[in-house]
Amino acid sequence: MNGLLTKFLLKNPSVLVFLGALALFTAFVSVGSEAFGWGFISTSFVKTLGKTLCFCLIAIAMDLVWGYCGILSLGHFAFFGLGGYMLGMWLMYARTEIIVQTAMSNEVIPPTDQEVIDAIGTQIFGVVGGSDFPMIWAFAHLFWVQLALVVLVPGILALVFGWLAFRSRVTGVYLSILTQAMTLALSLYLFQNDSGLRGNNGLSGLQNLPGLDDVSQDIVSMWFFWASAFALGLSYLLVKLITESKLGNIVRGIRDDEARVRFLGYNVEGYKLFVFVLTAIIAGIAGALYYPQAGIINPAEIAPIASIYLAVWVAIGGRGRIYGAVIGAAFVSLLSTWFTGGQAPDIPLGIYTIKWVDWWLVLLGLSFVIVTLYFPKGIGGLFDRLVRKGDA
Amino acid sequence: MLRVLTLFLGLLLAVPAFAQSSLYDALAEQTAGLKKPSSKTIETVISSLQDSGAPGVADFLTKLQSKEVWYRKSDDKFFFVATDDKKTYRLIDIQSGEVVAEVAKKEIKQIKPNSGVRAKIDGALVAFRLTDADPAVRDAALVGISRDPKAKDLAPLSAALASETDPDLKARMERLSRVLTVSFGDTTEARVAAIASFDGDLGLDARAVLNPLVTTTLKAAPEVGAGENVAKTLRLGNDISEEDAFDLLVASGLAQAEPTKGDIKAALKANIIGDTVGGMNVANLGTDEARLAAHMALAASGAVPAILTSEDKAALLASAAYYEVYAEADPAVTAAAVEALSSISTAVGVSQFIDLVLDGISLASIYFLAAIGLAITFGVMRVINMAHGEFIMMGAYTGYVVQQIIPNYTVSLIVAIPAAFVITFAAGVAMERLVIRHLYHRPLETLLATFGISIALQQIAKNIFGTQARPLTSPGWLDGALVFNDVIAISWIRIAIFVLAVIFFLGLLFVLNRTRLGLETRAVTQNPRMAAAMGINPDRINMLTFGLGSGIAGIAGIAIGLFAKVTSELGSDYIVQSFMTVVVGGVGNIFGTLAGATMIGFLQKGIEWFNPSNTLAAQTYMIIFIIIFIQFRPRGIIALKGRAAGD
Amino acid sequence: MKKFLLASAVSAVAATAAQADIKVGVLHSLSGTMAISETTLKDTMLMLIDQQNAKGGINGEMLEAVVVDPASDWPLFAEKARELLTVHEVDVIFGNWTSVSRKSVLPVIEELNGLLFYPVQYEGEESSKNVFYTGAAPNQQAIPATDYYLEELGVEKFALLGTDYVYPRTTNKILEQYLKDKGIAAEDIFVNYTPFGHSDWSKIVADVVALGADGKKVGVISTINGDANIGFYKELAAAGISADDIPVVAFSVGEEELAGLDTTNLVGHLAAWNYFQSAEGEANADFIDTWKDTMGAERVTNDPMEAHYIGFNMWVNAVKEAGTTDVDAVRSAMYGQEFPNLTGGTAVMLPNHHLAKPVLIGEIQEDGQFDIISQTAEVPGDAWTDFLPESAVLKSDWKDLGCGMFNTETETCVQIKSNY
Repeated sequence: MNGLLTKFLLKNPSVLVFLGALALFTAFVSVGSEAFGWGFISTSFVKTLGKTLCFCLIAIAMDLVWGYCGILSLGHFAFFGLGGYMLGMWLMYARTEIIVQTAMSNEVIPPTDQEVIDAIGTQIFGVVGGSDFPMIWAFAHLFWVQLALVVLVPGILALVFGWLAFRSRVTGVYLSILTQAMTLALSLYLFQNDSGLRGNNGLSGLQNLPGLDDVSQDIVSMWFFWASAFALGLSYLLVKLITESKLGNIVRGIRDDEARVRFLGYNVEGYKLFVFVLTAIIAGIAGALYYPQAGIINPAEIAPIASIYLAVWVAIGGRGRIYGAVIGAAFVSLLSTWFTGGQAPDIPLGIYTIKWVDWWLVLLGLSFVIVTLYFPKGIGGLFDRLVRKGDA
Repeated sequence: MLRVLTLFLGLLLAVPAFAQSSLYDALAEQTAGLKKPSSKTIETVISSLQDSGAPGVADFLTKLQSKEVWYRKSDDKFFFVATDDKKTYRLIDIQSGEVVAEVAKKEIKQIKPNSGVRAKIDGALVAFRLTDADPAVRDAALVGISRDPKAKDLAPLSAALASETDPDLKARMERLSRVLTVSFGDTTEARVAAIASFDGDLGLDARAVLNPLVTTTLKAAPEVGAGENVAKTLRLGNDISEEDAFDLLVASGLAQAEPTKGDIKAALKANIIGDTVGGMNVANLGTDEARLAAHMALAASGAVPAILTSEDKAALLASAAYYEVYAEADPAVTAAAVEALSSISTAVGVSQFIDLVLDGISLASIYFLAAIGLAITFGVMRVINMAHGEFIMMGAYTGYVVQQIIPNYTVSLIVAIPAAFVITFAAGVAMERLVIRHLYHRPLETLLATFGISIALQQIAKNIFGTQARPLTSPGWLDGALVFNDVIAISWIRIAIFVLAVIFFLGLLFVLNRTRLGLETRAVTQNPRMAAAMGINPDRINMLTFGLGSGIAGIAGIAIGLFAKVTSELGSDYIVQSFMTVVVGGVGNIFGTLAGATMIGFLQKGIEWFNPSNTLAAQTYMIIFIIIFIQFRPRGIIALKGRAAGD
Repeated sequence: MKKFLLASAVSAVAATAAQADIKVGVLHSLSGTMAISETTLKDTMLMLIDQQNAKGGINGEMLEAVVVDPASDWPLFAEKARELLTVHEVDVIFGNWTSVSRKSVLPVIEELNGLLFYPVQYEGEESSKNVFYTGAAPNQQAIPATDYYLEELGVEKFALLGTDYVYPRTTNKILEQYLKDKGIAAEDIFVNYTPFGHSDWSKIVADVVALGADGKKVGVISTINGDANIGFYKELAAAGISADDIPVVAFSVGEEELAGLDTTNLVGHLAAWNYFQSAEGEANADFIDTWKDTMGAERVTNDPMEAHYIGFNMWVNAVKEAGTTDVDAVRSAMYGQEFPNLTGGTAVMLPNHHLAKPVLIGEIQEDGQFDIISQTAEVPGDAWTDFLPESAVLKSDWKDLGCGMFNTETETCVQIKSNY
C-alpha cells in the first residue's frame, strides 16, 4: 500500500506541492498564533483561517461532485450543516451535563437520574420555551455515537435522496432545483421550534469544549485549525486518488456523456450515487469541524443561498481541478470577510462614496457573470495557462 | 381678548344660578375618574353624570369618546379644545361652547379614553342615540349594542324598531333585537322562538349568542344538584378517565391531592434527622423507589400524611357522580339552542370548506403569477433564470416609485403596470443579449451567471431603496373584502390577483398558439436550425421571448407588492417555489404551470388546515411532497410527449 | 495569497497598539436582513458618543467608536465580538438585536470578561454577568399589555400569533401560563406560529375572526416579527377588523416598522413598549430634535434607541464614578445607577442587570405615530419569569449573591456562566 501511494505521488507531483503548501501554511499560522508562537495572528483570525479551511474542504467535495461528475448540487450545505448539528448536539449536551451535575451535587438529597436529565433538558430547551428531550437527542450523551452520526446522517440522507433522484433519471437543471428544494426543506424544518434542534436559535456555545473550561480559546482554536488542515490534506489526497484512478475516468465519462457510459455497460446510477454520498460525507465532516470554531449553528446556515455560494467558489476557483476549488473557496470567502468587515477603504467619487459594505455583493455578482462568460476555467485556468507557458 | 375675559367673568357669575343641575358640578364630583378613565370605573362615572340630570352630559360623553376633552392642570377643570397650529390651544367651555381662554400645551392635558372605555360610553348612550335624527348615529348605536349586548338595551331597541324608517337599519335592528331576545327575552317561549329563527344562520352574532347557552362545566358531586340543567352524565372509566375524575374530585374539594414527586422530595427534606430520613440514609435517596419507601416510613410514623392506597382511591372515586351541566338553567332554551347550533354547524362546515377552497385558489394564483414568466423563459426556452425573482422585485419597486410620483393610487396603478412591464422587458432583453445568449449550450452555467446577476440586482436594490420594506398601497376600491357571509370572505386584492392570473393565462395561450410570435417561438425552441432555415431570426425570437417572460414577472411584482410587501428580498422569497411550480406542473407548456400552481396552492392550504398552529410545517411538508412527487413523475403533471419533450 | 493573509494579520496588530482613549465597540449589523433595524442603533450610538465628546468626554478622556459589521450572520457576531475585545480592546460594547445573535456573543463576552449593553426587548430567561439588558423583559412589556387586555378591554379569548423563533415562543409560553393563572381556559388560547417574512395571512386572520363564534371578546397578542407584519396588517385591514372588535397588541411593531405601511386602516390597534416617540417631555423633545438634525427630518425614534440612550448614559456615569473603564469596577458602579427616562420618571439599574422602566401602551394613529393611552409606574425587569414553575425558583443577583441563576429553593447557584 505504501508503495502504491509513493507511486501515485510521484505520478502526481501537484498533490505533493499542495500538501507541502498546506503544511507550510499550517506551520506559519502555528508560529504566528497567540497560543504557540509570536502572536502576530490574533485568535479571532486563527478562527477565521480555520473556518476557511473547512470551506476549502467542502469545496473539494463540491468539485468532485460537480466538476468531475457533472452533478450541480445546490444542496451540499445541507450535509455540511447536518454534520455540524450532530457534533453540536454532543457538545451542548456534555457541557450542560457538567454544569447541571455540579449544581446538583450540592443538594442534600441526591438527584435521581430522571431529575438530572430533566434539568439538562430545561437548561438546553428552556431557552427556546421547552424542556423535554426530543427523540433525536437519544444518543447525544455518547460522544462516539454522535461522531459516527456526523458521517452517517449526511451519508444516509444523500443515499436516500440520490437513490430516488438518480433512479428516476432526474438530471441537469432539474436535479439542481431538486437539491435546492432539499436544502430548503431541511432549513425550513430546522427553523421550526418543534424540530428538536432549538429552531432559529440553533445550537450555541459550541466553542466551549466540555470539561476543558480551563483551556484558553487561543489553544482550542489552534487544535481545530490543525484538525481542519489535516482533514483538508487527507481529503485532497483521497479525492485525487479517486479522480486519477479508473473510477475517476468513468466518473468523468458520465459527466461528458452519461448515455454513452451507460451503453458501455457501466452502472451509471451506482457511480453517481457513490460520488454523491462520498461528497456528502466529506461535507458533513467539514461542517463538524467548522461549527465548533464558529461557536453557533442554526438553520440560516443551510439556506439555499449558502450552497449556491459554494458553487460560486468552485466556479471562480476553476472546476475539475480540485486545487481550484480550494483556491476559490479561500479567495472568495476571505475577500468577503475583508470587504464586509469594514476594513476595505471606501472610494470617494466626489458626489458618491462607494462603501464596500454596500457594493461588495454587486461586485461579487458581476465578477461571477464575467467569470462564467469569459473565464469558464476560473482562477485555476489562469494557473494552467501560466504553467503551460512555463513548459513552452 | 377683553370680550373673552368679560364673557368668562360673566360665566363665572352665572354658574351659581343653576348650581343644582350644573354640568360643572357633576363633573367636579367625578374628576378623578374622568382624568384617568378606566373601563373598570367609567360606568359609575357615567351613571353619576347621567343621574345628575345636568344638561349636555350626552354631548360631553360623545366628545370625551372622541378625545376632544382636556383638563387644565392648574385647576382640574374640563374643556373642549381646538387648535390650529398645535402651539396655542383654545379652551372651549363645555356648556356654552364659547372660547374662554388660549393657553400653551403644557398647561393642559388631553384625556385619552381607551377603547374599553369608549365601548362603555357607547353602551351608556344607546338610548339617546337609537332615536337620533342622524342615521349614522343610529348606526353607531347598533354597533355599540352588538359589541356589548345588555338586557337593558332590549326595551329601547324595540321602541326604536317601531319608529325606524331606514329599511337597512330597520333590518339590522330587527336582527339585533332577536339576538338580544335569545339571551334576555322575558319568557321561555320568546327565547325559544328567537333561537329557532337562527336555524342554519351563519352570522357570527347569532353563534356568539347561542354558543354560551350550551357551554357546559364538568362537575363532580356526591349527587346531581336540584335544579341543575344537566347536559350529560359521565360514566367513570368510559366517558372520563380515573385520573381526570380524581383531579376533578380534588378540584371540587372532595379529595386530597396526591403528593407529586417534588412534594415527596420536599417532605423528605423537611424531615431529615442527622443523615437519615424515615430510617433511610439520605445518600441512598437517588431513586424514586427509595424516596417512596422513605416517605411511607415517614407516613407510618405520622410525620407526613399517608398516600392513598388504591382501594381507598377507588372507593373515593365511586362515591361521586360526574356530569356536565349547562350554564343556562332553562332546559327548553338549551334544547332549542342545541338544535339550532347543529344546523348551523353543518352550514359553517360547508362554508369553511368553500373558504378554504377560495384561499387555495388565491394562493395558487399568486404562485401562478410568480411562476408564469418562468414558464416562458424556463419552460419554453429552457433557460434557467435565477434572476427571475429580481425581475418581480423590480416590478414591485417600479410600482412604489410611480406611487411616489403620482399620489392618486388608481392612476398610479394604471401607469405602473405598463411601466413595470417596459422596465423589466428592457432588463430581460438586456440580460439575454449580454449574458444568456452566450450560454445557450451550457444550461448549468446560465444558472450560475443569472445567480450572479440576481445577487447584484438584489444588493443594488438595497443600496437604492434601503433594506426597509416600502409601502405599495392599493387604491381604495381594492380595499376590503368580498363578504358572502361571516365565514366566507375574500379580499378584493386577492380577487384582483386571480383575475390578473386568468388574464395572463389566456393572453399567453393566445400569444403562443395564435400569433406569429408564438409560432416562431415554438419553432425556435423545438429546432432552432430548422427555424432559421425557414427564415426566422432565432436571435430576435429568443430576445423577444425572454423579454416577454421578464415583463410578465414585472407585472406580477406589482400584484405581489400590493398584497404583501416590497423589499429587496421579495424575489428570492418566491424563486424556489416558482421553479418548483414549473417543474411540478411540467416544463414546456402553460397548462403545466397552471396545474403546478394549483396543486401547490391547494396542497399548502390543505396541510395548513390539518395543522393550523404551525404554518412553517406546512411549507416543509409541501416541499418534501414535491421532491417525492418528482421522483415518480420526473416530467411533471402535464408532460410533453415526443420530440417536443426535447432534453 | 499568503501575502494577503499576512497583510491582514499585520493590520490587526497595528490596530492593537492603539491610543489610550476610551473605546466603545458598536456591534450592530449594517448589512443583511437585520440592517434595517440595527443601522439606526449604530447611528444612535455615534450620535450619543459625539454628544459626550462635545461635553468633554469622560474624566478628560475622549471616546472613540469602533464600528464593526456582523452582517446579520449569527456566527459572525461571535467572531466580531472577539475581534472587538482582543484586537481593538474596546472597553464596552453596545450591540445586538436578535436573541440568537446575543446567544452567539455570550460565550465570547463571558470568556473575555467584556461588557455588553443589549437594547432590545427580549424573552428573558437569561442572566449574564457581562451583559446589561436595557430593553424590556417579558414582565415589562408582555405581562402589562395582557393585564391591559384583561382589565381594560375585557378580552376573554386570546390569539397569540408569532413568528416561529425564540422570543415569541418563550413569551407565548409565559403568557399562556399567566392567562391560565388568571382563569382563562386552555381552549380559549389560540396559538399560531408562522415563518419569518410570511405573507399569506388570509387563513390565519379568518381563524382569528372565527374565534368570536362563542360570544367571547377576542384579542390578538402579536409577536410577529419584521416584514411579516406588513402582510398581516394588510390582511387585517382587508378583512375589515376594527380595533374595537378584535384589538391587536404588538410587541415588535414600533415607529420604524409602521413607516412601511399605510396606517389609515389600522387606527386603534395597539403596541406596548417602554418608549414612544409621542411621549411628552423636554428630554424627549431634545432627543428627537438632535436625532432629526443628525439623520434627517423624516426619521423617527423608537424604543431600542431610548434603551441605548439610557444604557450609554448610565455607563458614562458609572465610569465617572469608578474612575476607570475596568469592567468589574464599572459593573459594580452600575448597580443602582439612576437616569431619567425620555418618557418621564427615572430608570434604575437593578442587581439583576435589568432596568426598572415604565410600560406604555399606545394606539396606532393615522400618521404612523402612537397615541399613549396607558402608562404604568416603573416596573422592575425580571430576568427569570415568575409565571413558569421552573423559572419561578430562579433569581438573578450579581451584586450580593454574585450569581445570575440562583435557585432560591435549594439555595444554590446553578451556574455562574449564562445559559446559551
